[in-house]
Amino acid sequence: MLKSHLKLALKVLRRRPFFTAVSLVGIGLTLLVLTVTTAVFDHVFAPYPPEVRQARTLLLSFTELSGDQVRSRSWPGYRFLDSLGRGLPGVERMSIASQASSAFSYLNGSRVRSYLKRTDGEFWRILAFDFVEGAPYGEEEVSRGSSVAVINQTTRDRFFGGGPALGRSLELDGRSYRVVGVVRDVPFLRLVPFADVWAPLTAQPGDGWRRELLGDMMGILLARSPADFPAIRAEFASRLSGMDLSGTPYKTAYARPQSLLDTVFEIMRVDRSAIGILAVLFFGFLALPVINLVNLNVSRALERASEIGVRRAFGASRRNLVAQFVLENVVLTLIGGLLAFAATELAMRVLTASALVPYGDFHVNLRIFGWALAFAVTFGVLSGAWPAWRLSRLHPVDALRGSLR
Amino acid sequence: MATAAIEHVPEERKAQAPAIHLQQVEKVYRTDRIETVALQNLNLAVGEGELLAIMGPSGCGKSTLLHLMGLLDVPSRGRLLLGGRDMTTAGDRERSRYRNAAIGFVFQSFHLIPELSVLDNVEIPLLYRRTTAGERRRLAQAALERVGLGSRLHHYPGQLSGGQQQRVAVARAIVGQPRLLLADEPTGNLDSQMGDEIMALLEGLNQDGATVVMVTHDPRLSQRAHRTVRLFDGRQVQ
Repeated sequence: MLKSHLKLALKVLRRRPFFTAVSLVGIGLTLLVLTVTTAVFDHVFAPYPPEVRQARTLLLSFTELSGDQVRSRSWPGYRFLDSLGRGLPGVERMSIASQASSAFSYLNGSRVRSYLKRTDGEFWRILAFDFVEGAPYGEEEVSRGSSVAVINQTTRDRFFGGGPALGRSLELDGRSYRVVGVVRDVPFLRLVPFADVWAPLTAQPGDGWRRELLGDMMGILLARSPADFPAIRAEFASRLSGMDLSGTPYKTAYARPQSLLDTVFEIMRVDRSAIGILAVLFFGFLALPVINLVNLNVSRALERASEIGVRRAFGASRRNLVAQFVLENVVLTLIGGLLAFAATELAMRVLTASALVPYGDFHVNLRIFGWALAFAVTFGVLSGAWPAWRLSRLHPVDALRGSLR
Repeated sequence: MATAAIEHVPEERKAQAPAIHLQQVEKVYRTDRIETVALQNLNLAVGEGELLAIMGPSGCGKSTLLHLMGLLDVPSRGRLLLGGRDMTTAGDRERSRYRNAAIGFVFQSFHLIPELSVLDNVEIPLLYRRTTAGERRRLAQAALERVGLGSRLHHYPGQLSGGQQQRVAVARAIVGQPRLLLADEPTGNLDSQMGDEIMALLEGLNQDGATVVMVTHDPRLSQRAHRTVRLFDGRQVQ
């Protein structure tokens, strides 16, 4: 039966090419927006290298300190993370790293900006960077405050013309760093690993940063398993409540180990409960084209009243008809989905080529294809169910006469 | 009122329950303002293996009666029994199953699906049974051969003449080997020669054991039936 219905579905689409084209454009555009959004989301959050252990990773990011007359909200400082984050139960490794911030150099008389991230040695053991030259620095270099650096390929090309960079030096903010490793570029939107240059936390003048409660650091906790997350959070909360804030204007502190997704929500100041609003917006966005397709479907299917009557006469139940018409609609939306997927690939290439997002390497993959497929089927079922139900309620005699009762 | 006698039914079948039995059936169509009585107080028994013609002027209720017999519509009052089984209050699913298993329809305007090949059109009743694709194909082919269209399996309805299209419709009606064949003016859109061919087909099917009920305006066709029921204004007059 499935083959017969599929065969008919494809033939029905060819019956009215204009109607089909209008439907496909509507479906394709809707699914294109959804698939592009998914692809961008995938680019930011999917566990691509170097964040291959993302499922076991928690981040300590935004911190809030409050006192009687003061309230500060910022990234945490080294002291805060060092005193509260070390030795949490269930944590296999912990790293403290700064945000990527601008650092400047002079190349052939031009001022060049690079993003510099300062890290400890554990950073390289939690994140799986792809080294094309050399190796990362370790705890030894960090404890000695060595002026060494790992750079990305683009920085190598920029400073050394694409030739080998190992052992060569580059100057950032007036300080010289010896290159010990070169890694593949990491996209700008990858919050945790992104930088052009990575250098030891200690390779900077002074040690005032060690005493800061608030600063520009981030704690990266690699748990043994996601099952350890609750215990990690509970212990952290306990330590936080007992934190010694004497000598500061603060009385209470707030921070929470959380996933990358929650961290990004926090950066964007979006509450997790806003996901519900996003879901409503998502379905709202789907609603208009669904309604449009429903109307097209009803008018198309009413042309087939005679067929409905015949099928009913020869034993099709209402359920059979609903299944047939929903299937036909899903075929239509799957074709729209395939068009949208191809258009998404094109849009991703344009986005990558535009360099709008530094080091952005937007592309489609099997996971996005799976989502596109899911969107298409959902869209097909949503827009096909009501017309199918309505047609299945046509009185067989009226259907044979080609009229509605 | 006594039901009509069944004289032309073979002796061995007379003992069986009638193929169709209508008892004091009434059909009324209602809209907000108008109430139209299509059939009233109709009592009729159609024997197993009978070839019955229903005649009468336009609007007298012939098609309505056929639709009731085919479980495409429900009576407003009275009882309807098919093969001794009371189907008056059967639900949609039961009626659909019964139609699929026991009833075949031939319509005046053929009602073939233009996008489907002749073979695919004939397979339609079998889609709603547990039949494998191979078996469906085999049965559909056999039905088309029976109506003389074995060489037109992969043609589309638009490529056939009216007579050939009606033969396809007959093949579709018989592919599921129904006990009851209902034909609504099966020759109404055909010239007399093609009409004769279709009538010969229906007679052949009846001789093979199917009960055939046929609505017609054509007295020549009704003469070939075992019995003719005449309707006027929703009543049986003969």
